[in-house]
Amino acid sequence: MASWIDYTINGLIIGNIYALLAVGLALIFGVSRLINFAHGSVYLVGAYAGFVATTMLGLPLPVTFVLVVAVGALLGLVIERFGLRPLQGYAHIAPLLATIGISFVLDQLVQLTFAATPRALPSDLLDKRFQLGSGTIGALDLVIAAVGLTSAGLLYYFLRFTQLGWAVRATAQDRDAAQQMGVDVNAVNRTVFVIASGLGAVSGLLVGMYYNYIDPAMSFQATLKGVVAQVVGGVGNVPGAIAGSLLLGLVESYGIALFGTSYRNLFAFVLLVVVLVLRPNGLFASARQTPPEPMTGTFIAPSKPFALSPRVLIGITIALALLPAVYPDPYIMQTFSNAWLYGMLGLSLTLIAGTVGMISLGHAALLAIGGYASALLALNFGIPVGFTILLAGVITAALGTILVFPSFRLRGHYFSIATLAVGEIVSLVILNWEGLTRGPIGLSAIPPLSLFGVELESAQSVYWFTLAVLVVLALLQFRLLSSHLGRVLRAMRDDDVAARSYGIRLDRYKALAFAFGSFAAGISGGITAHLYSYINHETFNAQLSILALTIVILGGMGNVTGAVVGSVLLIGLPEVFRVAAEYRVLIYGVVLLLLVRFRPQGLFGTV
Amino acid sequence: MSVFNRRQFVGGSAALLAAASLPAHAEPAKGEPVTMGVSGPLTGPNAQYGTQWKQGFDLALDQINAAGGIKGRPLAYVFEDSQSDPRQAVAVAQKFVADKKIVVELGDFASPASMAASPIYQKAKLVQFGFTNSHPDFTKGGDYMWSNSVSQADEQPLSAAYAVKTLGLKKIAVLHLNTDWGRTSKDIFIKAAKDYGAEIVAVEGYIPDEKDFRSTLVRVRDAKPDGLMLLSYYSDAALIARQVKQAGIKLPLVAASSVYSPKLIELGGESVEGLFTASRYFPDDPRPTVKSFVAAFKAKYNKEPDAFNAYAYDTVILMGQVMNQFGFEREQIHQGLAKVKDVPSVIFGKATFDTATRRVSGAMNVELVVKDGRFQLHEGSIATR
Repeated sequence: MASWIDYTINGLIIGNIYALLAVGLALIFGVSRLINFAHGSVYLVGAYAGFVATTMLGLPLPVTFVLVVAVGALLGLVIERFGLRPLQGYAHIAPLLATIGISFVLDQLVQLTFAATPRALPSDLLDKRFQLGSGTIGALDLVIAAVGLTSAGLLYYFLRFTQLGWAVRATAQDRDAAQQMGVDVNAVNRTVFVIASGLGAVSGLLVGMYYNYIDPAMSFQATLKGVVAQVVGGVGNVPGAIAGSLLLGLVESYGIALFGTSYRNLFAFVLLVVVLVLRPNGLFASARQTPPEPMTGTFIAPSKPFALSPRVLIGITIALALLPAVYPDPYIMQTFSNAWLYGMLGLSLTLIAGTVGMISLGHAALLAIGGYASALLALNFGIPVGFTILLAGVITAALGTILVFPSFRLRGHYFSIATLAVGEIVSLVILNWEGLTRGPIGLSAIPPLSLFGVELESAQSVYWFTLAVLVVLALLQFRLLSSHLGRVLRAMRDDDVAARSYGIRLDRYKALAFAFGSFAAGISGGITAHLYSYINHETFNAQLSILALTIVILGGMGNVTGAVVGSVLLIGLPEVFRVAAEYRVLIYGVVLLLLVRFRPQGLFGTV
Repeated sequence: MSVFNRRQFVGGSAALLAAASLPAHAEPAKGEPVTMGVSGPLTGPNAQYGTQWKQGFDLALDQINAAGGIKGRPLAYVFEDSQSDPRQAVAVAQKFVADKKIVVELGDFASPASMAASPIYQKAKLVQFGFTNSHPDFTKGGDYMWSNSVSQADEQPLSAAYAVKTLGLKKIAVLHLNTDWGRTSKDIFIKAAKDYGAEIVAVEGYIPDEKDFRSTLVRVRDAKPDGLMLLSYYSDAALIARQVKQAGIKLPLVAASSVYSPKLIELGGESVEGLFTASRYFPDDPRPTVKSFVAAFKAKYNKEPDAFNAYAYDTVILMGQVMNQFGFEREQIHQGLAKVKDVPSVIFGKATFDTATRRVSGAMNVELVVKDGRFQLHEGSIATR
């Protein structure tokens, strides 16, 4: 029994830490309707600002606090002014992508400045400890709780009793109406970013001191947990975000108590999916509140697609098919083969996210399912490799659709977050289901890529094979899009209410589209497994899901040609920037930002 | 922004980088350099390890090139950033195998990246030297996959002996990184500890991103162990030690040699005081190889080397000797690795490959304890094989 008290206290302590992040994310979402993927990076910058102040400059703690808040606030100001404001009036997807680009840039800048090795961030506050249960609670725990509660209180006061606060709430409720009433929406946005980023930076400082540990890789995980916590509590709902964070901490702690440490995150993400499916507004939203979502059809930018004539496409395809004959450099071949593989993933996601409007953030899971399916079929049953890849596509289509099916009734961001969670769940199941997947040891000696018993040995043959598969999948998708089915899918995206009143069964069509898309992703994963000969749970990680989405947005949502071109660019650019060594991810981030800024509908436009 | 400016910027930074990786005083070695390809993380979540590699490499290159290089030519390396991501590692592999200048490849860091690239190196008959790849299947990828990483089959029985025989632990709780390395280590450690007569009362695997261990420690405490075994890297070991102290658990901590780094003490502070660990070498080690390595490292970087610095250093020294003895053509290096004997090594004392497994066995072992904020020899232990 005493242990359960300890588990509860520990859950609340860690929930307390999540709350610091979730509050900032909730505030920004509440006003800007934006999942701020750069929030973790602001948190990172805050941690390092604190490191500079305390360790390098030797400033006292109160001064450090003020400094860190100032740095965070300033950063928020810059992000809002130069990263997001120019994207106003663009579809909601553009700022989302911009925050991803900003987070690349910020993380890289921190890493280049302070090196990648972790650093200590010592604090006297930690050494003052009080007995609680059988463990102790530190003064820092109390400071963290106090900061969380005080900021929530101040926010409440600000939102409820100040004029700017009213403006914030009015903007959150209806941006256009607020603007018509004379609210300076830009000022509101700026204020929100300044507050949230100041808070985010302090969170970085506090968490860094709490663990006496900061490193440049800490931002992604922080964003992930913060997003989960705020969605559990109800997106855009500040008190809800705090409650959701505490609940998340408790669930994780009890999960460890019951099943062991390796199941911790599994619980967090299962909780998320359950909450989303049962109470999509979050646990703490009032029932009558409408879901805070953009109006139908405004999430993805309508634009005039830039269509290449079939003749040009055929010409380019023939030229690409001849490339190995003229220029058989294996490095170029490999890079293009990678691009073709990610092109298949891009086709999959551009159909699901672009044509149907379900923005999936867990697409790497489909690669993983395909990869494991094909590898296991070949390893355990000795099925010939070409056939296993085809089967992997079918298995991925079935399994992927079943896993995501409960989330089909969700819209916009909610669907995205559900798929993010499903992606994490798949990866954790692979890690823990050792009997099937060999857990972290992974699958080795996967038979090499072969077709009808002939091994594809050279880089050229792999190039041709992947290109051929990509072309077949692309042709199928062109066919699908121009058919009656394609029109139905686009109708659902543009106005699901209207589509339903025309008698379209949304779930069934979504499932059909998802299965078609998953098939392509599964094929891509299957080929990859045989190409690599070794995969484990880390081979297809969450970063790949972000990459897939970037490919699709860059190419133009729903655009088949765009997905392939996007893939060639995003796989190719890091290779082109290879000469820049440590700077290449930074350059990549900047290029991404510029693309979003000047071509938000993607290179080829939405279809 | 104009294309011209970007090119300038890219070109400029490339030149800077090239200047940084050139050996500091290479007068004795002249001419066209003999180039090794390195595939490893310089950006991304594992970037810190790539940075540590470079320090070890550069130090070894300084020494080799000052002593005449490879048959009079300077030894150098090209570091291609893979972010330890399999997709980029295979592209880098194709680049290296096609580049006739590259005579041997070192890396990658993590097994998914290294082993994804193995088929390419194997087909092209370019040695892939995975010096941090302890995955038991790595060298099974083909006869061009070699490794001098310390095999866990070698190390973990020593850890178990330290915990059970030297320290007298009878009921051990094991916390391990849930990665291929941690999983392999855990299985071997548990088997060895049981053979020595200890009981394993709890086993908890955690993912590398984990920072909060409070609830895990409640679970561990309830299993009533008389000691904790950490199969961790230094960063997570420091986090665990800190939270052990905060949870009020007063049990001895034993950690695998992978925590041996000045960073453990920096990050762990007082909470790692009394932590038992082992190392392949020790700064006050009387062995001349270690003495010169530690002294030169301190002189160049003004800090103590850690395990990854030592692996990287050892590897380049080894390659230098193989090339000087057997030639620096790709195939000569492949043959040379099988023939080379007793290369002076910080990690192994003297390194000789087992030609069946293409690994080196018999790593040195020193039992250490953290005392007064530094690693010190554990009472009564001496550097032994």
